[in-house]
Amino acid sequence: MTVMRDTVVKSLAKINVQGDENGLIPEYEVLVNLLPVSLLNTFTERIMAAAPADRKAEVEAGLVRAAYECGYHTGCGIITSEIFNDVVMPMVTEGEKDILRGAYAAFTAWGWAKSGIVQLKEGEKMIIRAFDYYEADSGGEGLRAYMLRGLSQAFFDLAYADPYPDGMDTYVCHQTKGIEVGDPYGEFVVTKK
Amino acid sequence: MPLTLNFTMDAETNRQFLNGHPVVMHSHHYLSLITKLAEDMGDLGGPGILQDVVEETMRAVFDDYIQKNGITSAQERCNVGREYYSVFGLGKMVITGDENGGEVRLVNSHLDQGWVMKWGQNDKPLNYFTCGYVAAMFGAAFSRPLKSYAVTEEASIAMGEPESRFIVKAS
Repeated sequence: MTVMRDTVVKSLAKINVQGDENGLIPEYEVLVNLLPVSLLNTFTERIMAAAPADRKAEVEAGLVRAAYECGYHTGCGIITSEIFNDVVMPMVTEGEKDILRGAYAAFTAWGWAKSGIVQLKEGEKMIIRAFDYYEADSGGEGLRAYMLRGLSQAFFDLAYADPYPDGMDTYVCHQTKGIEVGDPYGEFVVTKK
Repeated sequence: MPLTLNFTMDAETNRQFLNGHPVVMHSHHYLSLITKLAEDMGDLGGPGILQDVVEETMRAVFDDYIQKNGITSAQERCNVGREYYSVFGLGKMVITGDENGGEVRLVNSHLDQGWVMKWGQNDKPLNYFTCGYVAAMFGAAFSRPLKSYAVTEEASIAMGEPESRFIVKAS
């Protein structure tokens, strides 16, 4: 058996989060927050718009970095969590490849991106397609799924780079297509840095 | 009165909604780095951009809830923002004041505690996010337009203080 995506999505999608008696959400070895999508998209749009042409790459890198570090640390917490262990791990028969399949099922279940792996060369390259993601709603110009780029890079690092926390920045993710520019899906390519 | 929370999910996309507003989970790493990005872009007005975006987007959430639930008293309207803050996992607030301004204390803060977990103590206040949030909360409570309240952070958990404190003044 390999990871059955629909089963994972259905199982994980039942989970709702909200703050505890301290107003905090300690989960997956991090503090989780739950924020309006419009807040994140509008900030991205305005900070990019404020940057002159020679600073846009710097802002873009900062946005990807935020998602990358969130994905790397939270991702480790997710794939070692009780829920992931209960729902995904019993289906894992192909090691890291299946863990990555489970991770993208979790991305889908939690509403980050309806996404999945379309090509995987272990430890070398991965191509992701996303048919829905919240960054596609943001205003602005060009490809701008910074969050999904950062998360994809983070999960490939977790799967194939040195063990956590020593494997950061081994791989890099580039976006090649985007719903936000009129393509039918977003496409993301992860390769060695 | 506690908030009524209606979590829903779009069956096709799995996007999540809280009381009709699309929401998404991230971690303290994300919000810390977004805050740092705003600071790094200080010459472009980064902290102000973050603060304004939070005020505008949160105000829409509060106003929508207040309108749909027919809440009329300023105290209960203010309570909507206070309770949402905790539901969002952003921490716990204690609020005093009136339409001229007031004080908000954070006894827990996702951003400040997350920042310290990630990088250790900071040498200055950094919670631009909550400055915008508090401005939205007071504006919604007293039915004033955006940017009606100036909010400054006077004490910061990220700097090692036991609580964060924000001073609110009607502008």
